[in-house]
Amino acid sequence: MNFQDTRDLLWLAGGLYGVAFFIGLLKTFKNNFSLFREAPFIAISFGFIVHTRALYFRGLDVHGCPLGNTLERVQFILWSLILAFLILRLLWRLDLLGSFCAGLSFFAGWLSLLFPSLDSKYWLLENYQRLFSNPWVELHASIAIFSYGIFSLLSIVCAMYLVQHKALLDRATGKLSSFLPPIHDLEHAAFRLLLIGTLCLTLSLIVGGMHWLRHPEYVTSIKLFITLILWAGYCLLFFLRCSNILFGSKFSKASIALFLIAMLSMGFMSSKDKSSTILQPQQTSQE
Amino acid sequence: MQNQSLHLLGSSHHVADLGIREKINLPASAIDEFYQGLRQLPGLEECLLLNTCNRTEIYGAANNGFSPNLLCEYLSEFRKIDYDFLAQHSYQHSGEKVVKHLFEVSSGIDSQMVGETEILGQVKKAYEDACTRNAAGKMLNRLFQKGFQAAKWARTNTGISKGQVNLGNVLCELARRIFGKVSNSRLLVIGAGDVAESALEAFKSRGSQAITVTGRTFDWCPLSRRKPDELAEKYGGFALSFSKFQESLHHFDVILTSTASGKAMITPTEVQLAMKRRPSKPLFLIDASVPRNIDEKVARIDNVFLYNMDDVSAIANENLKTREAEVDRCRHALAKKAIRIWEQMSVQPNSISSINQSVTPNS
Repeated sequence: MNFQDTRDLLWLAGGLYGVAFFIGLLKTFKNNFSLFREAPFIAISFGFIVHTRALYFRGLDVHGCPLGNTLERVQFILWSLILAFLILRLLWRLDLLGSFCAGLSFFAGWLSLLFPSLDSKYWLLENYQRLFSNPWVELHASIAIFSYGIFSLLSIVCAMYLVQHKALLDRATGKLSSFLPPIHDLEHAAFRLLLIGTLCLTLSLIVGGMHWLRHPEYVTSIKLFITLILWAGYCLLFFLRCSNILFGSKFSKASIALFLIAMLSMGFMSSKDKSSTILQPQQTSQE
Repeated sequence: MQNQSLHLLGSSHHVADLGIREKINLPASAIDEFYQGLRQLPGLEECLLLNTCNRTEIYGAANNGFSPNLLCEYLSEFRKIDYDFLAQHSYQHSGEKVVKHLFEVSSGIDSQMVGETEILGQVKKAYEDACTRNAAGKMLNRLFQKGFQAAKWARTNTGISKGQVNLGNVLCELARRIFGKVSNSRLLVIGAGDVAESALEAFKSRGSQAITVTGRTFDWCPLSRRKPDELAEKYGGFALSFSKFQESLHHFDVILTSTASGKAMITPTEVQLAMKRRPSKPLFLIDASVPRNIDEKVARIDNVFLYNMDDVSAIANENLKTREAEVDRCRHALAKKAIRIWEQMSVQPNSISSINQSVTPNS
């Protein structure tokens, strides 16, 4: 384990989230499981510190906010998700939400690390230019990714809603459903997260749009199209929820579906048209 | 007396689901007529009807020549149910097994919600009804007095009544999973029976302030202060006119029906209208009536959660799984008591009659 290496640190952070997730599950499902009460929260906190350090090292490598490949974008979203959870945790005690967040960060984080092709070392290219031509673009990208973090938290809250909703419809009295928050509270939380996420995404688009007007050559048409579609999707979702047309389980399903679409479109969100060959991690390690 | 034996024909949640129980269950208005016919069965000397939402049971003391199938024939004829269908969804016991069954019923371990206490009151009420009609004699008097004693012993000496088996507490837990704090949710109770009171107690004890009660008797006799407004006053709630409750559904988060009207009081159309006026707020409906008061199609409406007695009981019993060992211990002890009592009843008929002479329903 090299504590100066980004990937090693990301593996470690994912592992710590995994530990938090499994301790959280054991605490929920096993009556006689006794461990330090705050153990999952401490594991998440350490994971977050390691995660931050990993992204910091990668930021030094790329001379900016590390959002140049799919792995970086996924990791930045997961980091935003944990940050949003930790901020919420200061206000409310949300142990089960923490377990869900840790679980998602563990699985998505390790999955993204398992495929080296997602982590192209673009900054080692000879003709590499800084990812972001100016600080405003960097601000645009970081706010956009932070909004994705909020949307991932929204998806988790919606998933919790659906689990509780299904348990109530099925008359199930499992331990998970009895520990989950009430559906009324989850729906309120989901609405507020949607509001914050949509505001962040809108702000990000305004900042990015100002740059695009001056330098349209930096933005591919597919990125522009997908970004606008996603933004319109979240705005529509917000409008439908506000006007009480879409709510309850349908709203939750729509939120999760929209987030999955956003995740799937991550590969098209590159700012520059990289026509040159990108070095893979294996290739660079041989050098 | 020496030639007498005990017989039982019954149908309960163990052998019949809610829909079938609705067919077998006797309406209150038909009980007099049912008793009249029952007492005319050849060989049947004593009889008692236990008719609750979860069970319909006929207890009888008869000559040894009595054919227990007559009970089944009579009930199927009275309720206009096919004999084979009834036989398939009922049970028959004789002798010692009747004693054991009654002990289990009155102690609550045979109930759908294991360990619940309401059944003992219902058994006492059934016994009083039979005595009032002079249908119960020495044999059934002794049997039921021993049944009450056994129930008391079981509750005092075993843990079958510990934990949350109470309908009201189960409903509060469900309301918490939907709305969060129970104190914030607005409750409407339609009807004024035991179930309604149990729910009111549970909600009130959790700090619920917005309690409203309505019932058919409220409109029938508005000046006589019948039960719904008495209940509302007792729990610091409001009384709502029965004729207005259907147009006020949207004001409430939790609605419980517990009446014996025998028809659907809340239909999908009414609930759909209510949900249009509270679109994003869930609605929790509990139908604690048999026959049901809420059309089951209501459950298909988005954001509406409909539970009936079977559902609530199933949840309560799920909560009680940890008590299974205690229930087994109780059942075992009651079986031993039943054998002893049956031996006394069959070997010492004279002492039975001397004991029964002093037994009255009021005692």
